[in-house]
Amino acid sequence: MSGPLCLLARLIPGSRPAVLAAHRGKCLRCRGEAARDAGLRADLAALAGDLAAAPAGLRQQVLASLGEQDAADPRRHLVAAMTARYAAVAGVAVAALLALAAGLARRHSRALG
Amino acid sequence: MTRGEVQRSEEELLARARNGDREAFGDLVGRYQDTVYTLALRLVGPDLAADVAQEALLRAWRALPRFRGEAAFATWLHRITVNTAWTLRKRALRHAAEPLEGDIEDRGVLPERAGELAEVRAGLRRALAALTPGQRAVVVLRDVYGWSNAETARELGITEITAKVRLHRARLRLRVLLEGAR
Repeated sequence: MSGPLCLLARLIPGSRPAVLAAHRGKCLRCRGEAARDAGLRADLAALAGDLAAAPAGLRQQVLASLGEQDAADPRRHLVAAMTARYAAVAGVAVAALLALAAGLARRHSRALG
Repeated sequence: MTRGEVQRSEEELLARARNGDREAFGDLVGRYQDTVYTLALRLVGPDLAADVAQEALLRAWRALPRFRGEAAFATWLHRITVNTAWTLRKRALRHAAEPLEGDIEDRGVLPERAGELAEVRAGLRRALAALTPGQRAVVVLRDVYGWSNAETARELGITEITAKVRLHRARLRLRVLLEGAR
């Protein structure tokens, strides 16, 4: 058994929805995939204990570059980028809706005239 | 020094650093620079990792008065490192195909298993380096550092669905790469 249900079962882990949990339990392909994923996850988790030594001088460079503390949100760059992205998507959506409405209005006026 | 003493001394260092004590922050940098650098190395590769680590530590210093201790300091620092790496991802993308980790060492492995594990880890690092930066970031945060889907998505500025899809594709790709290498 394979297909969309297998894909959904992998993307939505856990016991809900029940249909996916039931599928996961009886589908040999899904069970095989889950076993292979578990092995990979264990290998990846083992990497967490490995450490690279920071370059010599990093601490000194950081200390030499310290400015004033301004309690700036360290996520502000990310938030700004996300806001810009959402604004762009909203702009495109509004423009598409306006174009659609204009097209419908034109067709309506032609039908009347 | 006992664990409690270490924790107390870290709390003291944090309290002093929050009040602008640069020497205390220097001690914290000394404690965490390797973990910050390692995370940066995993996310963006060797060319950019030092820049990301330095910028992340500077952002942490600036933001330190905001730190209220809701999460562990290491977790907070990791989040800032991920944000920093991700906002610099355009530069990271140019180095996507380069090897990620040249000199990461394993700490605390029994000598008799060291060779075998080193081989597995070297294979994993090569496979991770072959992923796209977006896939790599998700799989590193989820499977290496054990972050949740929600946390990973929030810190990378993507939706949870996107994070799950990237994770799914990344694991598939990793398996293909690792099986191909055997």
